[in-house]
Amino acid sequence: MGGYLSIPTFFIIFRETVEAAIIVSVLLSFLRQVLNDDPVMRKRLSRQIWAGTALGLLISLAIGGGFILVWNWYGKNLWAASEGIWVGCFSFIAVLMITLIGIAMLRTNQMQEKWKLKLAKAMDNENANGLGNQSRKYALFLLPLVTVLREGLEAVVFIGGVTFTEDPKAIPLAVVAGVALGLLIGFLIYRGGNKMRLHPFFVGSTCLLMMLAAGLVSKGVAAFEADHWNRLTGAQSDDAGTFDPRYNLWALKCCDPKQPDAGWWSVANALVGWSNIASYWTVGSYIMYWGLVSAWLIRLNNKRIQKALGGGVATASRPLLSTGSSATELEEEGEAYTPVTGSSSAHASEQTLTGYDGVESSAHGGQQPHHLTRRHDGYGAVVNAGASTGTGSGAGASGVERPE
Amino acid sequence: MLASIKSLALLALAATAAQAAVVTYDWNITYVNANPDGLHERRVIGVNGQFPIPTINVTLGDTLVINVINQIDQPTSLHSHGLFQTGNAQFDGPSMVTQCPIPPGANFTYTIPIEQHGTYWIHGHNRGQYVDGLRGPLIIHNTNETYKYDEEYTFALADWYHTEHEIMLEQYLSIFNPSGAEPVPESGLINQRTDTKFNFVPGKTYRLRIINMSALAMFHFYIDGHDMEIIEVDGIDVERKPVTSFYVTAAQRYSVLVKARADASQNFLVHADMDPAMFDVVPPELQLKVQGTIVYSESAPLAPNGVTDEYEPFNDALLVPVVPEATQKPDQIFPLTAAFSVLNDYSNKATFNDITYVMPKVPTLYTALTTGNLSSNPEVYGKYAHPMVVKHNEWVEIIINNDDPGNHPFHLHGHVFQIVGRSTGKYDPASGPYPGYIDSPNPSRRDTVLVPSEENVAIRFKANNPGVWLFHCHIEWHLQAGLATTLIEAPEVMPSVLKIDPTHIEHCKALGIPYRGNAAGNEGLNLDGANIGPDPLPGTFTAKGIVALVFTIISALLGLATVIWYAREDDAHISAQVAQAKNTEEEH
Repeated sequence: MGGYLSIPTFFIIFRETVEAAIIVSVLLSFLRQVLNDDPVMRKRLSRQIWAGTALGLLISLAIGGGFILVWNWYGKNLWAASEGIWVGCFSFIAVLMITLIGIAMLRTNQMQEKWKLKLAKAMDNENANGLGNQSRKYALFLLPLVTVLREGLEAVVFIGGVTFTEDPKAIPLAVVAGVALGLLIGFLIYRGGNKMRLHPFFVGSTCLLMMLAAGLVSKGVAAFEADHWNRLTGAQSDDAGTFDPRYNLWALKCCDPKQPDAGWWSVANALVGWSNIASYWTVGSYIMYWGLVSAWLIRLNNKRIQKALGGGVATASRPLLSTGSSATELEEEGEAYTPVTGSSSAHASEQTLTGYDGVESSAHGGQQPHHLTRRHDGYGAVVNAGASTGTGSGAGASGVERPE
Repeated sequence: MLASIKSLALLALAATAAQAAVVTYDWNITYVNANPDGLHERRVIGVNGQFPIPTINVTLGDTLVINVINQIDQPTSLHSHGLFQTGNAQFDGPSMVTQCPIPPGANFTYTIPIEQHGTYWIHGHNRGQYVDGLRGPLIIHNTNETYKYDEEYTFALADWYHTEHEIMLEQYLSIFNPSGAEPVPESGLINQRTDTKFNFVPGKTYRLRIINMSALAMFHFYIDGHDMEIIEVDGIDVERKPVTSFYVTAAQRYSVLVKARADASQNFLVHADMDPAMFDVVPPELQLKVQGTIVYSESAPLAPNGVTDEYEPFNDALLVPVVPEATQKPDQIFPLTAAFSVLNDYSNKATFNDITYVMPKVPTLYTALTTGNLSSNPEVYGKYAHPMVVKHNEWVEIIINNDDPGNHPFHLHGHVFQIVGRSTGKYDPASGPYPGYIDSPNPSRRDTVLVPSEENVAIRFKANNPGVWLFHCHIEWHLQAGLATTLIEAPEVMPSVLKIDPTHIEHCKALGIPYRGNAAGNEGLNLDGANIGPDPLPGTFTAKGIVALVFTIISALLGLATVIWYAREDDAHISAQVAQAKNTEEEH
């Protein structure tokens, strides 16, 4: 390649692109699987994803460009001064969204049909208001936006800065190659996901997303830590390569994802949050993330068993849609599928794509029973409560057709 | 030239025999309040209640006696910088190298035969006390000076801090200073003032003795409207060298001859500009350009200010000593690489060849004198004193690599050395012989040499002075950070040449410091209990790192397993569980 391919640039661009591409391709693949027979909805939601991606790209170019201009004209490295905070905040937002979507996809495994309707209702609901509601409604727009924004900003600032140390003629090819390879991986995931059987696809993509999110937690914590340490020591940026020794767990001379010769270590950083410097904070938060996710999943599982066993007020009159859903979800189910009652629209606004938000739904528990006698939800005949109890697995009762 | 050298030598001998005087100074080391830059009054260390401390004036052949009474609350010691102390190492001064420090309230008499002449200085050598003001000129006159001049003035240049050195040292060495940024001074001084005036009479020739007594700062020295000729460097008379400006690092000295102008129509500024490259940051209120005034007439106007940022390049290796000394092939070569890094005590420390200097438990000189035959074994001095053992009358070469972005002035006690080589980059002995030798029949000599960043310098001297001599960077912060080694010179000869006064041992006892044995105070080579320094960070996984990594991997695997488990809990399984639960219920 001679002097025409800047290897450091290639790796940086590749790792930023691949992380964003994974998220976008998983989301797109998910839509394709779930909404296979509803191209209108699918197209609509896909547009959300692409819109988020495009807007993220645009904003990161704008902000990154702004940083580069200030750096060039005023010599003030604004990015470096606040890098920790930027990266940290974006990371945590992204972690939240990825985790929620990941868990949602897991549960979609069980209730695919229900999901289609949920999505439809969520999109159509014009009474949705409040930030929480808005973000749920537009999750497929926001997650790509936040992800691409974060990755894009880092990449733009890096290219802007690196042109001073790297040979400029080595940059364009490296950028193109990095983006191309990252997009290729994303494309492969998309295609691969489409071809997979549904169950392994959902499980696989969730695993991938969770690994990404766990790494992001660690990186976000590391960014805040670096920012704090820089303020303590008066350093200009975390490129100083120093760390707080009081909380350090390991500090390797090699394998630093931030170095120009990092190569695959930098990709490892993107995928699993690898760093050559780890502290009680970064390791602890990583372990805690997995712990929380596991605990949460166990709790969800217990709830659905409880549900199946007949626990909870609402279940008596609820048709058991599928054993995969929690009691609180079923309450929402009722709301979702009875458009007739006026109050349902208010409750409908409580719907979430993920359906895990038990708090708000349960607040309306007392009102729900009478909404649920009739359901035309594409699952089959109207079911009554009695038939549902204890026979959740019966295909007729639950109506869940598992397209496997 | 040769004729004057011979007569010089003869006269010196005659002077020594005929006129040797004992010059005594009684110095109570005391705290004083002072405000030398007019910006901030603070406590300083002075002598006899005065600051600045008195200038010492002696003549070649005299015996200098300094009766020290330590009246501050810290142990202290005094080092006469540049004096050879031939056969007199126990009075050289560096604490825990040649003596135990003088306890508070105690007396210590330095008795020093004066065997050389030129411009020197005397300063505290325990901790960074000289930064707090315990420093002053030590001028040794020759009965028959090489060069003729009418009068002389001393320009003692120094940086000045508003904070006491112990406080700054704590911050400098703390874990919150991983980049090793040195404290930046608040001002620069000439003769501990900011408003010095020197009277010149038209037509006279003046010798200006320039001393840099700084902790850190390097000065560029030049005079408006006057030419200078360098005639002395670090006590070595050299052939006249005209310069427009020259740099002086911490601890270096020069003498220049300046001819006064023919008329008294103007006064002129003397410039001593601090070099900003030495400072981590340059705060806007720091006046880098320090000035004094050459006064011809009180009423005369000041000539236009010739202050500049462009300095003539100056190479002290080009100075030619008046008394020639040819170099010889070295018997031992010590390559030393100076570097700074965060060590495993998490503070930024200085190392020579990855070893940081830590004071031993027993003063190194006492170890050399009390360990018998083992005194030639470097082990006995402890790894962290970084001993370099040489035999009597060997020629010794030290190649100093400066592997640091900063510039460092290196000083050897007990000797002047020849500058025999200079080059850029880092010299690796494995790559072959040193490439930067200067071929000269009479190399430049001095006792403090600047090694610029990422460059190296080779120095050479003859080990004709049995004793223990510290070799260190003369930036005080760096000495405290461990940029030092100890030259153990002719230990086999020392016991016959050096005798330790019993009062020195009493001071060790008073401070609870052992005074016999190896670096740990033990017999033989048993170094249990020696002072251990921090070492470079391993840069690999330690036990706790491996445990942490294992836990992260386990947590990820368990988490993924939970995800997969949750997704596999299909309807059949759930209903089976439910059915089983119901069965157990019904049984009750």
